Amino acid sequence: MATTADTFQAHHEEHHHDADHKPGFFARWFMSTNHKDIGTLYLIFAIMAGIIGGAISGIMRQELAQPGIQVLGSVAAWLNGGTVDMDQALHTWNVLITAHGLIMVFFMVMPAMIGGFGNWFVPLMIGAPDMAFPRMNNISFWLTAAGFVSLMASTFVPGGTGLGAGTGWTVYAPLSTSGSPGPAVDFAIFSLHLAGAASIMGAINFITTIFNMRAPGMTLHKMPLFVWSVLVTAFLLLLALPVLAAAITMLLTDRNFGTTFFDQAGGGDPVLYQHLFWFFGHPEVYIMILPGFGMVSQIVATFSRKPVFGYLGMAYAMVAIGVVGFVVWAHHMYTVGMNVNTKMYFTAATMVIAVPTGIKIFSWIATMWGGSLEFKSPMVWSLGFIFLFTVGGVTGVVLANGGIDDNLHDTYYVVAHFHYVLSMGAVFALFAGFYYWFPKMSGKMHSEFLAHLHFWVFFVGVNIIFFPMHFLGMNGMPRRYPDYTPAFSYWNEIATVGYWIMAGSMLIFFANLIYAFVAGRKAAPNYWGEGATTLEWSLTSPPPYHQFETLPVIEEHHDYHDHIADSPAKA
Amino acid sequence: MASRPLDSRNRRTGIIALLAAVAMLGMGYAAVPLYRLFCQVTGFGGTTQRATDGQAASAAEIARSAGTRTISVRFDANTTRDVPWDFRPLQVTDTVAIGERDMAVFVAKNNSDVPVTGSATFNVTPVQTGAYFNKIQCFCFTEQTLQPGQEVRMPVIYYVDPKILDDENARDVEQITLSYTFHKLEKQGS
Amino acid sequence: MLTDTESVRQMNFGDIARKRLSFLGILLAALALSAAPQGALAQATGELDAQAENVADPAVPEPATAEPTVTEAAPGADAYTPLGPEWIKGRPTAPSEDMLASISFQEQYSDDGQFALWMHDAILIPMITVTSLLVLGLLLWVIARFNRRRNPVPSKTSHNTLIEIIWTVVPVLILVIIAVPSITLLSRQYKSAPEDALTVKVTGYQWYWGYSYPDNGGFEVISNMLDDEAALSRGEPAQLAVDNRMVVPVGVPIRIQTTGADVIHSFAVPSLWFKIDSVPGRINERVMTINEPGIYYGQCSELCGARHAYMPIAIEAVPMARFNAWLRSQGGTPKGEGAPQGAAPALAPQEPESAVEGAPGAGEAPEAGTPEVTPAAGNPA
Repeated sequence: MATTADTFQAHHEEHHHDADHKPGFFARWFMSTNHKDIGTLYLIFAIMAGIIGGAISGIMRQELAQPGIQVLGSVAAWLNGGTVDMDQALHTWNVLITAHGLIMVFFMVMPAMIGGFGNWFVPLMIGAPDMAFPRMNNISFWLTAAGFVSLMASTFVPGGTGLGAGTGWTVYAPLSTSGSPGPAVDFAIFSLHLAGAASIMGAINFITTIFNMRAPGMTLHKMPLFVWSVLVTAFLLLLALPVLAAAITMLLTDRNFGTTFFDQAGGGDPVLYQHLFWFFGHPEVYIMILPGFGMVSQIVATFSRKPVFGYLGMAYAMVAIGVVGFVVWAHHMYTVGMNVNTKMYFTAATMVIAVPTGIKIFSWIATMWGGSLEFKSPMVWSLGFIFLFTVGGVTGVVLANGGIDDNLHDTYYVVAHFHYVLSMGAVFALFAGFYYWFPKMSGKMHSEFLAHLHFWVFFVGVNIIFFPMHFLGMNGMPRRYPDYTPAFSYWNEIATVGYWIMAGSMLIFFANLIYAFVAGRKAAPNYWGEGATTLEWSLTSPPPYHQFETLPVIEEHHDYHDHIADSPAKA
Repeated sequence: MASRPLDSRNRRTGIIALLAAVAMLGMGYAAVPLYRLFCQVTGFGGTTQRATDGQAASAAEIARSAGTRTISVRFDANTTRDVPWDFRPLQVTDTVAIGERDMAVFVAKNNSDVPVTGSATFNVTPVQTGAYFNKIQCFCFTEQTLQPGQEVRMPVIYYVDPKILDDENARDVEQITLSYTFHKLEKQGS
Repeated sequence: MLTDTESVRQMNFGDIARKRLSFLGILLAALALSAAPQGALAQATGELDAQAENVADPAVPEPATAEPTVTEAAPGADAYTPLGPEWIKGRPTAPSEDMLASISFQEQYSDDGQFALWMHDAILIPMITVTSLLVLGLLLWVIARFNRRRNPVPSKTSHNTLIEIIWTVVPVLILVIIAVPSITLLSRQYKSAPEDALTVKVTGYQWYWGYSYPDNGGFEVISNMLDDEAALSRGEPAQLAVDNRMVVPVGVPIRIQTTGADVIHSFAVPSLWFKIDSVPGRINERVMTINEPGIYYGQCSELCGARHAYMPIAIEAVPMARFNAWLRSQGGTPKGEGAPQGAAPALAPQEPESAVEGAPGAGEAPEAGTPEVTPAAGNPA
């Protein structure tokens, strides 16, 4: 069977010198217009932000290890550079939860998923030479980085009771307006502006790239599911983030220029802010998980050596999740005082999301059914993802019930729920994708042993952290509390033990990275074997600096997953 | 589709996407007046309605011809922390015939030694009765300035729309609470 | 440097609590004195026990363990004393006391709460457990059966319309099954209060709660957290005990209206399945009916600034007669007694104490230098 892979592989040989011509260090990494370099920058950035966000959660878990205030005083004293009173120490708690939330959402998961893997692999998978707007791509990255700097800076300037923005990642008015004088909240809001603008530009870039730059023959219905997931995500970003931008701009002018969008003294309404925030905020959680869905689909198919089961159903389930995600926002505000009909509507609409989500989970299992499963590290992480995401999903069905939520709203049950879908859903998908593609990106094989060990230790750790939080929440422990009644101490202590296990697993991860760069074997073009069928596997590892200068042709009778089934690339 | 060069197609798609983003940004701002309008029209969140004398008269007529029952109305008064007023209803509850207009009086006294201007926000509970609670005249329609030590009586003329009896969610409500909160307006009195 | 956090904290919160207490203590002493003549109207102390037993919802069976009785009632006709720690009912449970109770919801003391708990335990928990185990089981099965060793040649199946329809329709049916009790629960929770329900106005302040009783004279009770030492000395859990509880009658509907004085707070009591946001500039309303006399703890559930974790809620549900005695001890008037409500406009909230009470800033800026008063709310003698 003549395959497309032959042609462009051969082509690549011809133009070897052009393809590998790289600019100098500064131009390459600071003015980059190359999607792979920008993807790498995003991944490095996300890992660094993840270390900071993870360290903050370490401080939080350590504080929560026992009742009373133990470590906040020292943290606040360090931030203030001197003596602090109790309120400043407690304010520091709110700064930590705010920073942890914003960092993990805007500067870890989103940059890694969309900026990192999206930039790297969307052009490769659709057979495009680069993104549609390479310079805008570069601006996106540096705006994200600037946003992070702004958020970090907010921690060191006054924010009301103490230093830093202590409003929670939701930045609810009036706590964020009249309740938090000082520039810290302005810095935090500005940080969201920058990150939001970056993401909107990224979304425009992905939409344009995916619509216009697919290789000949790659119809929308032949695109790999990861590309589908990024496309849906890009639409969610494009439509949701401007609403956040509007809402936080109004917060900013309420704070500084005397407008009263959310201030009742001038006819505004703080509840409107919540509506606007969650109109963005709910799509945002799908923005964080959909690319993970895409990656898991690729990985499960690869290591089952089977095409994805129900490809169209999988693609349109993501579209459905994206669409329905826009009309369920008020389930985050069940206790705000809405009427019974509104609450019933949001209960019903929210539960509907369980249906396409269920389709995805069952389709992954059906993909494996009858397959020839190989348990390489990406597959193991994906299996972990499927199970833990299911656990996080079913507690979502519980929370969807407006009447039940009256007890669980703003408790640790909610914290457990969204960490099961994000800290275990999104992050497991990230690690799955990382081990899947790391050799492709770096050209070096990681240690499969360490990757498996990382998985098991991480799996045990995060479950010990977050499963007991269900108990704490049901038993009544509210979230965003630095201190609690002694009845809650047992499960909190256990969760803190889990944190240190999880932190230990991250040492394994970094050891694995060092191993790969120092002693890793050179990666073959398709190191996962015949199950890996998307276009990136037809290229060398790492791919040439410029790829697909002549576009690959995807033949009519081929499904996307067997383009290169007979490719000699393995040889 | 390949008829035009890639660059121009990209620019076109990019601009369309950008316009979509800008439109959503506009929607974000438009949400402010739209939300207010939505609340005013539907009574969402317990937003009360404004009515003219004519509407009040016709509602009263309908009520009389249909022979409606009475309903209890409770009055609640709050001030934000920066308003140094003593603000309370003259009467905590009242019983009114549905459809008939009635007057409630609130008393406010400025306890500080500077003039203070405030404006009142309001809602009713249970929130589903907002669509049926009509104010013909209210101190909350305008700003109120109280001189140091001044005490004023502030009236509200209202009626409960007989249509409340046709709404299965609001029909069984036995008592409606009308709540006001005075906020300080950042305006110097002197 | 903050060297000894614990002591700073004690100082800080203890200080504030004490100041507030002394301030209120004096006030309460004055009120109690003025209310003394009314005491004659109160029920004899001995009847309180009986009433407590009576009002305790007959539908709710008595626990097997001996139910505590109201024994500590102070002598004298005008008998209100705060319930002792043996009456604590709505609270979290430590695993060392009861592992099972520590990993589930608090026991419910309202009908809606019991219904919600039933829905969670009987419908949702089985549903989510079965779903999770089904997915886990299928994963383990494909791992065991379709690994490369046992199944070297993969099938190429990528479609099966029937199974796809099944896994779409079955979840829909399950969701419909869940929706039925869910909607029932919502409509029960939204039942509006009867006209004669007692109204308690709950105001969230940074960082304490105020409870005012507009039907009973409009006085406001300011409720601050007790520091750990004071809580433990009263036999109450740290971080949950307060100086002045929100006292309400048991077994009757209570119209809770809530608002925030500064930022958004949330009034939440897990053992009554009750949570509603206190939004500044508007009120929210919900009915609460407590089935048994007792003490029910809750905590602020919307981030409201630095001391968000230090503004607990404690509700004390007592028989009506005892509640009326409490009202009198606060200078309030039981409904239908003393000052008539509604009909007589000028009378309503005007008692001498109104100068301080009801003021939104009450509790703010406590007088400095007031002497310390033993923290025994409502029992100033």
